[in-house]
Amino acid sequence: MSSIILEARNVRYRYPRGMEAVCDISFHIRKGEKIALVGPNGAGKSTLLKMFNGMIRPDSGLMLFDNRPIEYDIASLRILRKRVGFVLQNPDRQIIAPTVYQDVAFGPTNLGYPEHEVKRVVTLALRHVGLEGFERRPPHQLSGGEKKRVAIAGVLAMDPDVLVLDEPTSGLDPSGSEDIMELLDELNHDGKTIIISTHNVELAYPWADRAILLLEGKILEEGVPQIAFGNPEYVRRAHLSLPILLELYMEMQKRGFQVQEKKPHTVLDMMHCIETVLHKTTRLIHPGTITVCNVDQDIQNTISTWLSSRSGITVGAMGTRAKQRAENEQIHLDFTYGVIDKCILKSLLGEDSLIMTTATMVDRITQRVREYANESGVPIIVNLLEVKQP
Amino acid sequence: MFEELLEDIAQKNGLREVNTYLKLAAGLGAIILCLFSTGYIPPLFIAIVLTLVILFLARVDMQTYAELFVVPLWFAIMSVAGIILISGGHDLFWRWDILPAFSLSITRDSINQGVFVFCRVLGGMSAICFISLTTPMTDIFTVFRRCKVPEAMIDLMMIIYRTIFILMDQVVQVYHAQVMRLGYSTWRESLNSFASLCGAVFISSWDAGEDLIRAMDARCYDGKFALMGETHPVEKLPCLAVGVFLMLSTAVVILCGNNTIL
Repeated sequence: MSSIILEARNVRYRYPRGMEAVCDISFHIRKGEKIALVGPNGAGKSTLLKMFNGMIRPDSGLMLFDNRPIEYDIASLRILRKRVGFVLQNPDRQIIAPTVYQDVAFGPTNLGYPEHEVKRVVTLALRHVGLEGFERRPPHQLSGGEKKRVAIAGVLAMDPDVLVLDEPTSGLDPSGSEDIMELLDELNHDGKTIIISTHNVELAYPWADRAILLLEGKILEEGVPQIAFGNPEYVRRAHLSLPILLELYMEMQKRGFQVQEKKPHTVLDMMHCIETVLHKTTRLIHPGTITVCNVDQDIQNTISTWLSSRSGITVGAMGTRAKQRAENEQIHLDFTYGVIDKCILKSLLGEDSLIMTTATMVDRITQRVREYANESGVPIIVNLLEVKQP
Repeated sequence: MFEELLEDIAQKNGLREVNTYLKLAAGLGAIILCLFSTGYIPPLFIAIVLTLVILFLARVDMQTYAELFVVPLWFAIMSVAGIILISGGHDLFWRWDILPAFSLSITRDSINQGVFVFCRVLGGMSAICFISLTTPMTDIFTVFRRCKVPEAMIDLMMIIYRTIFILMDQVVQVYHAQVMRLGYSTWRESLNSFASLCGAVFISSWDAGEDLIRAMDARCYDGKFALMGETHPVEKLPCLAVGVFLMLSTAVVILCGNNTIL
């Protein structure tokens, strides 16, 4: 298990003339975790988040970063804020500068990077969030999702270890929300610890490694999403709704079906669960194969001939760059979120699929498919698309 | 919202990628030549050339440009009418003695003077339009910095520029909310609604200001604002075009001297 990066010990905070927003909370967050803070309005989520980068100092108790208590002098705060990036809920409030480039460059410039270095990190950050070519655009012309991406890029440019996002999907349409969650997944895969606060249970449930349920400044439940959301009573008290998968699972349990002990985390798990109950495993002789295409190579010719010989094949893209590449090549994408699971589901139906992704994600796909194969006993073949050298 | 519209056009116009200094040189040069000219032809020449450039090179929509021109044009027409009627001169065409000590008259000199002023306004307007429709504010900030305008001023300008649009959004939202509940139905009600609109916007801008500081602090604000990367290099063709335009205009100014319409 990785080391602890953020820790709260008996933290309390009261707003001036207000009620206690955070009462005696203790928890820890490990490096590389994806954490979702969930709870109703006024549960203290935002207050807690603001403690992570020292914007709010607890009245009592201790906040630790990297196992050292957070110091609140200006110099230490600067170092802390470089390492813990914070994205506000309203991107309009976060974006300060008149152009996208200047806004993303704000952090690095203030950290005193030389100009060419600023340029390098800004380009990198914008590429990461899929906003290449937006440098000179003024923020007020961007859509909500694009603004959110600019805000995230502005924080990414400082290369923080921890990314804290307050309600990252608020005000976005469902596909925009999924894109942001997928981006967060990608950043997490690059080694960043990610903490979000949200009301959106359906998005948080499959995404988070761990969820913390907050109510009235206290932790109601904490653990893997199956546990954190697993108690209907707590979920109701927190003004949330049960994730639909968990609800289904519980209803099946109540009806006396012999469901597996492990609660479903994804649609894939749920299908597995239902099939065990029905004693009807889709034990196909030939499950469909999943082909993985690394978009960091020169794929232009290969992919078009490959696709034209397999018309109607399902195509998914993982990661911002892969999606952009697909758009450039005018490839129609069927899946852009939860791609691996959806492709496994396709395989179980005996259909082939293609996943376009970046080099770093290839291993993750094979790993996930292998995990599933071990669990379910259905061997699914993952091929890497061979690029023919012209 | 008109200001937003102007900025939007500037951000997307056909001459967006031309070097900022060249565009400013053309616009400011045109204004100065308009001021130096003593005849009515040079400003008219400048107005026609720049209008054609705005419509065909910058590809600004004809109607938008016309709308932009109408307001100052009315001003110009009214003040020119005043000049023609009030200023005296030789060769009287028409005269009306309203009061013993005050009379209106139209003379050859006053018509010449009026036409000259009118053409100057046209020239100046088109030059201003040329700058504002082809050069977005964001590019002008870079020029300011190059021209050694104090950093603090530029930073302030940039923050103000950014906040104008946020504030305008707020105003529109509050305004709509009021109109939907019959806010401006009577004159009294309008006064009331306008007052509460001002109040609401003041409070929300105060809020936004606090968030701004928080957002800047969260990104290690240290008194620095990033430069907007690079300006576009001076290319041969636009440089030549601006040179030819300015030289031609200067030639027209010199050749036409102070010839008049009548």
